[in-house]
Amino acid sequence: MSSPPVTGPAAVREHRGGPGPARFRPRRTPPAGAARPARRGVLSYWRQYLAISPFYLIFTVFSFGPVFYSLYLAFQRYDGLGTKQFVGLQQFEFLWNDPVFWLSIRNTLVIWVLSTVPTLFGALVLATLLHSVRRFKGFYRIALYVPNVTSIVAVAIFFGAVFSNDFGLVNAILGVVGIDPVPWLSDPWLIKVVIALLMAWMWTGYNMIIYLAGLQAIPQSVYEAARIDGAGPVRTFFRITIPIMRPIILFTVVVSTINGLQSFSEPQVLFASNAANQNLGGPGQAGLTTLLYFYQSAFLDNDYGYGAAIVWAFFVLIIVLVVINWRIVQRGRKS
Amino acid sequence: MTATATTRPVKGARRPRRPKGLGTHALLVLAVVISVFPFVWTIVMATNTTRDIYQSPPKLTFGSHLLENIRNVLDTIDFFGSMLNTVVVACVTTVLVLFVDSLAAFAFAKFDFPGRKILFGTLLVFMMLPLQLAVLPQFILMSEVGWVGMLKALVWPALSNAFGIFWLRQYIENGVPDELLDAARIDGAGFFRQYWNIALPMIRPAMSFLAIYAFVGAWNDYVWPLIVLTNPDHVTLQVELAQLNVGHNTDYSMVMAGVLMASLPLVIVFSVFARGFIAGATEGAVQGT
Amino acid sequence: MDLSRRGFLQAAVFTAAASGLTVACGGGSESGGTKNGKNLTMWYWGGALSDKVVAEAKTHFKSRIKLTSASIGGDFKQKLTTTLAAGGSSVPDITGIKGEDIASFLPNADRFLDLNDLGFKKISSQYLEWKTKLAQTKDGKQIGFPIDIGPTALFYRADLFDKAGLPDDPAKVAAEAKTWDDYFALGTELKKALPGTFLVNNMGSVFNIAVGQGTKRFIDEDNHFIGDQDHIRAAWNTAIRAYRLGLDAKINDQSWNSAVGKSLTTELGAAWHALDIESAAPDTKGKWRVCATPGGPANQGGSYLTLPKQCRNPEEAFKIISWILSPDNNAKSFTDAAIFPASAASYAMPAMTGPDAFFGGQKIIEVFGPAAEAIPVSYEAPADSAVMAPFMAELTSIEAKGKKPDDAWKDAVSQAKQIARRQGVS
Repeated sequence: MSSPPVTGPAAVREHRGGPGPARFRPRRTPPAGAARPARRGVLSYWRQYLAISPFYLIFTVFSFGPVFYSLYLAFQRYDGLGTKQFVGLQQFEFLWNDPVFWLSIRNTLVIWVLSTVPTLFGALVLATLLHSVRRFKGFYRIALYVPNVTSIVAVAIFFGAVFSNDFGLVNAILGVVGIDPVPWLSDPWLIKVVIALLMAWMWTGYNMIIYLAGLQAIPQSVYEAARIDGAGPVRTFFRITIPIMRPIILFTVVVSTINGLQSFSEPQVLFASNAANQNLGGPGQAGLTTLLYFYQSAFLDNDYGYGAAIVWAFFVLIIVLVVINWRIVQRGRKS
Repeated sequence: MTATATTRPVKGARRPRRPKGLGTHALLVLAVVISVFPFVWTIVMATNTTRDIYQSPPKLTFGSHLLENIRNVLDTIDFFGSMLNTVVVACVTTVLVLFVDSLAAFAFAKFDFPGRKILFGTLLVFMMLPLQLAVLPQFILMSEVGWVGMLKALVWPALSNAFGIFWLRQYIENGVPDELLDAARIDGAGFFRQYWNIALPMIRPAMSFLAIYAFVGAWNDYVWPLIVLTNPDHVTLQVELAQLNVGHNTDYSMVMAGVLMASLPLVIVFSVFARGFIAGATEGAVQGT
Repeated sequence: MDLSRRGFLQAAVFTAAASGLTVACGGGSESGGTKNGKNLTMWYWGGALSDKVVAEAKTHFKSRIKLTSASIGGDFKQKLTTTLAAGGSSVPDITGIKGEDIASFLPNADRFLDLNDLGFKKISSQYLEWKTKLAQTKDGKQIGFPIDIGPTALFYRADLFDKAGLPDDPAKVAAEAKTWDDYFALGTELKKALPGTFLVNNMGSVFNIAVGQGTKRFIDEDNHFIGDQDHIRAAWNTAIRAYRLGLDAKINDQSWNSAVGKSLTTELGAAWHALDIESAAPDTKGKWRVCATPGGPANQGGSYLTLPKQCRNPEEAFKIISWILSPDNNAKSFTDAAIFPASAASYAMPAMTGPDAFFGGQKIIEVFGPAAEAIPVSYEAPADSAVMAPFMAELTSIEAKGKKPDDAWKDAVSQAKQIARRQGVS
């Protein structure tokens, strides 16, 4: 799922002056109009309002309004064709008692952890390596970024073929080494591993580019100083690079949380050709993510009210996780 | 004392850095192999027959059935029609995103006006929302205005994405000096002249990044088109592609040929423009320094 | 890519032109309202109708109506629901509905025209009654015109049966595999003789057919949940038996394609399965045979054509669909696309009585024809397929992670009950 990845510069800015406290609030640029008399009516800013109005009009109609309308839907029973019927909190009560919903939450979290941790770690390592080489830099950057340009649909089809239990390349290679075929697409854990691998493959290069931008902004004088102090490469990495990069890392963690929790197309396409389990997330529903469950409830079972309830509950979960992540990274900064 | 050896080999000329450099390159090449391998393997599968793929162990070499598979793809789905749709949607979306977002970002970056904080903060919160939250009402909205099944139903929701504003605002704040704007204003340039004559030329790298980003996003979008494009004549490439893969018995070599045909244009476009793209991503930082 | 302002302007102009073009094209369809339109659109999905017959229909009606057909991919039901909800000119004049989805459209029957008003009543006797009834509301409104049905049968590898020292003649196999128990006993022998082979591809297919063999499903006509009762439990147990005996190949992914020519000795499924087998394992041509389903026939799939309320020319649209689905053309569809007709009269036509080379020259209509007419009539509630889903999912849980069958049953029932409540079933 690609919600808008908020990328580097927002975070890059933070350490322009070298290592310093991360401020997530925008720097207050002195307004260009500061020289003019300070007190002015709202109307005198009509140019600025005009400038932002195209976006806000679209935003209000296509994001703001719909989000709140979906909250309204969560209190209705609605099959998409008939009439809406107010049911109060019933949908949320169903949700609370629905084991499949909780299963889908578990699946989503496991897939998210399995994919985000290696993705971000790998991206940081690759960015550091890439930052240290001079030759072929452009080539590496492009080659490593290319997975992110491919579509999820194409990649999911590809992974489905390569990890197929019977005729997949991975099992064929294992077979050559004398290992029995591994049921990648039917074991509940391995299904999650395959989906996580898929996501890691797509997003590592992307995060690497963001980290690279951050690394390039670190003034060399900082490293000179560290060298003079006698710090080794590993120590420099953990004591200097990581702290300076913290705002960017925080940023990628937040973005990955938002993106990673929204996995939907991956399992959907991966198990699409499975007639019995279409849209159910594969054997044992092991690949059923929350958003897939939403899609199934709303669009296949025609239960639009329940679908809306699922996404809203899920939104609360995302907020909680983002806050927790933020806290963890922030606390790490203080220590 | 080896601090620079990892991070700055240029400076570490004194130490024997060859082996270290080689190790780094070896790791990077390995990463490149992993990231490029799927493309190679897709080609292998697309050039063989499905029987070859179902063999165990599967055939590992390039075959000679590519044309046949491509023909099958063209027979099964309206490839070029859906590709044209995708191109139109991606281009329209990209240009509109660039225009709408840069204008708003400029206002946010360089001007203080009442409500600025709240307006901007709202965007921040909304970026954390799962897009799916809006899918149902967006769909209902589309039906109300009668856009279901039409390509314009893809463009407008894509424009309500706030990423570009964040990105450009950041870039403008650091990359466009206030002094320049002040000078322009003294020369009598108004808000829109400042935007058009000063800011826009200075943020080209960031615009390039956003352009490719928006284009790739529109090209690869799958869920929303799947839901809203009910008219079979107005389907995008990704939706058609997913359709190849449905059914009990899958003609894999054909599916893979389709995957190849759908991914290649984008990979080529990206590779050609990548210089500007990656420059956009990294220069933002450099310029800010 | 460096964007200059001029480039940006040029792009903007191009874009404006392109979007104008798109919009212009998008608005091209005829406005609704009139009831004697000349342009009719028809939606179906790949394989739902014979493309040949549809093409013939276009020429046949050319003088009066311009028929445009569109093969819709993806989730057909979702596309149709959303389009119907959206209304307006994007709604097709004629549309297919899948057999498993028809029940969920019945509560919104007012979105469709009553085919009885258009003359279906007069010709309904040509079509199998149980199939017609499934597309009928309780007050007798007929929204669906049956296209085809999916009578099940047992496909088996005669050569492997022979190798294992078992009878391979269809009549004899049918006699040996009369009940599910007989069938599994046969499977056990097969497995002994041919290690590494399996009788069924997964439990879901056994369960699905076993449920279809009964006259009751998951919800009764008074809108009560009955999925926890004995008839479902019996079907469930049948599926579990295959698993316990080790006859279940536990295939839940695309591996079916490679297994069907090798490790699967039999395949349970509807008539259209023949095509799947043929394309997945062309090498096994001549080695397969068909006989009656153990425990009696069931139905799998089979679709309908409907006329949405927005239809621009109901009279002509009905003429078109009744022409496409006439017994004669149905027989043609069978030859062309293996679409098994819902019209019993077609079964005696030469197009259907010929020998099938893939099945070693067997006249497979002799198996499917009687099966089609003996399929039990059952009531399918709108929420039926939603309520069935957890049973299928739990069966895969057993196969994928070795979940205890009893636990799986309990979970399936409680989930199904919850879905039923959500869907307004008491």
